[in-house]
Amino acid sequence: MKKLIALALALVMVLSLGCVAFAAEDAEAEEAEAAEDAEAEEEEEPIIVHDGPEAADEGKVLNIYAWNEEFKGFFDKYYKVPDGVTVNWIITPSDNGAYQQKLDEALLGQESAADDEKVDLFLAEADYILKYTDSDYTQDITAMGVDNFDNAYTYTVQAASDADGVVKGVSFQCCPAAMIYRRSIAKDVLGTDDPAEVQEAVSDWDKFEAVAAQAKDKGYYMTASFASTYRVFSNNVTSPWVDADNNLQFDPQIESWIAQTESFVQNGYTLPTCPGIWDDEANAQMFADGKTMCWFGPAWYFNFNMGNAQDPENGCFGDWAICQGPQAHFWGGTWLLAPAGTDNPTLVADIMNAFINDEDVCAQLIKNEAQFTNNKAVNEAIAEDPDYKNDFLGGQNDVAMFVGMADNIKFENQTIYDQLLNEGLQNNLQDYFKSLGGGEGVDKDTALQNFYNYVNETYPSVITPAA
Amino acid sequence: MKETRTLTKRKGISYAKWGYIFIIPFFVVYICCSLVPQLMTFYYSFFENYRDGLKQVGPNFVGFKNYVTLFSPDNTGNIGILKYFGNTVILWVLGAVPQLVIALLLAVFFTSTRLNIRGQGFFKAVIYMPNLIMAAAFSMLFFTLFSTVGPVNQLLQSSGLADKTIDFFGRTFTVRGMIALMNFLMWFGNTTILLMAGIMGIDQALFESARLDGASAWKVFAKITVPLLMPIMVYVVITAMIGGLQMFDVPQVLTNGNGAPNRTSMTMVMYLNNFLTTSKNYGMAGAVSMVLFIVSGVLGLVVYRTLSKQYKQ
Repeated sequence: MKKLIALALALVMVLSLGCVAFAAEDAEAEEAEAAEDAEAEEEEEPIIVHDGPEAADEGKVLNIYAWNEEFKGFFDKYYKVPDGVTVNWIITPSDNGAYQQKLDEALLGQESAADDEKVDLFLAEADYILKYTDSDYTQDITAMGVDNFDNAYTYTVQAASDADGVVKGVSFQCCPAAMIYRRSIAKDVLGTDDPAEVQEAVSDWDKFEAVAAQAKDKGYYMTASFASTYRVFSNNVTSPWVDADNNLQFDPQIESWIAQTESFVQNGYTLPTCPGIWDDEANAQMFADGKTMCWFGPAWYFNFNMGNAQDPENGCFGDWAICQGPQAHFWGGTWLLAPAGTDNPTLVADIMNAFINDEDVCAQLIKNEAQFTNNKAVNEAIAEDPDYKNDFLGGQNDVAMFVGMADNIKFENQTIYDQLLNEGLQNNLQDYFKSLGGGEGVDKDTALQNFYNYVNETYPSVITPAA
Repeated sequence: MKETRTLTKRKGISYAKWGYIFIIPFFVVYICCSLVPQLMTFYYSFFENYRDGLKQVGPNFVGFKNYVTLFSPDNTGNIGILKYFGNTVILWVLGAVPQLVIALLLAVFFTSTRLNIRGQGFFKAVIYMPNLIMAAAFSMLFFTLFSTVGPVNQLLQSSGLADKTIDFFGRTFTVRGMIALMNFLMWFGNTTILLMAGIMGIDQALFESARLDGASAWKVFAKITVPLLMPIMVYVVITAMIGGLQMFDVPQVLTNGNGAPNRTSMTMVMYLNNFLTTSKNYGMAGAVSMVLFIVSGVLGLVVYRTLSKQYKQ
């Protein structure tokens, strides 16, 4: 017995050590990659950094609230705060609304906080920006000295304005989204990887589904997750999630997404067990041995979520291209908002100006970071530059493609509840979609009821449909 | 005269008051940190009190409305709180029964003078170790191991045991199984050590005389160890039960707060947490807390009565 127990315990220990080693290896590999990336970039042209202004009578600590490291990376690289000012990043992931909770607590306590503890600048996404712009917790940035929006896309200014048209923030990105596809798979399925011809083949949803059937015949998936096309529909809604009397309502676009996903799962056009856009299983499909043809996303998607595709060993760098896809849409975008009560108004205003009006900063965001900026002049110049090509997209000029799409973006039908309603619907319907794909799951009514229960718990003021 | 006075005074000296003084800190802390918040929770459960975006709604007195809402069936006829209570009990029993059995076995082995296991310190440290890992980190580890692209799936597929990806997080059985397994792994070491302390408190002479009388190992275990271990057992079961009813971190992290699939792994405290995270709904959360408090109290009493009746006989 003693020996048996000792053996079992030893096994447990070896196994757990193995797991730790496995995780550590992963982390090391990622670090190595990051270092390589950084080296590759350093070899290029020298970086032009925007110098922040000295403001003697203002605070020495700049507190920036964000939900990921994306903007921090650009800020550290292209913006230099004056000597003596410390930048303090407070980063909380946005899953399940955690970032909003953290930010809300800070803003509600803003008045009583010490100067060095006050929120000086915070980032917000399209899904919940309205909650902050439409409140007294943000301030008019034109009064702070950010008043030149000539080169900014109209929707980015509208999105950051309150009901009376007072502008409270700026976005450093413009986010027209495209259909991103694997060139090699497109060639196999459609016989071409030319963006114009691929676009012709998928120009509406019926054609898109027809191509999905062709792809399946060749052993490919059209999309990698249930939610892959969600944003294409949800950012084209014609009515808000919640009506004037606070009733929850399903827009026809959302219904279309549900119907399409049902069909895609039943027909095997998408992975049967992968619900979310960000899931590991979906991302694993971006490796060279992945079987998925189409993805949807704007310029920021390439660097932010397509790391697997860019992996030097297992990735498929250059095997990608973009076209407009079945339906024009935008996705995401990061706005910089000015909270009321900041003790660094000059610095905050300068940061905003730098990221929308400093042409050097904007040009570098495109060339080094694969962003599509919120500066029309810079975007258009690069769109027409014959020397510019995006190597990740096999040499395609993505900026030219995005320029054509950017002016059509409309920012409408938003509510302050959007982030968690969008997340909640996707999360709660996954059991239903999985059941269609042969997994254990629930019927549609139960899944919808789970979504309503989730809404009732999350937003007591939103009224869900009765039986 | 003087002498007698001092004498009477000395006679009257009582140390009893020091006892009360010594326990004051505990009661102060208990009243501030436990009793008052509990009474506040009870009070707020009768109010509509939440945040809508950045705007505060209430507190408005609504009587028993929050409790009525809690126990009203939804469109599909389910009463949420009963389902989540059921989930909690199932998850707890799945983890606690093997935990108690294994812990009792190990405790008997470790304390047995006949087996006389060497290197006990080492083994005790090892079985206690999972408890030192943060539950959230432990859940993340399982989440990564069992994900659709995780090592377990890779192993099963490369060894030919599974022909397609197994969606461990899409089945009620596997999700509940993982949660129970994690709770078991985290707590059996702790329980073993408590039970060992209990067994070592039993007079060794009883074991020896039983053995001299020719009692089998099983007889000794059933007739001496278990009955005399009951006081500790009652303590272990009740604390484990209260901990089980408050189960939160493991399922919350493992299912990303969804209690998926179909909310079958959503526990009472996860349900409570849903009301608090976004809308700071202290009214509804307070009502859930009160239900949980009453249920814990009643169950605690039932367990205490049944188990202690056995050992009193």
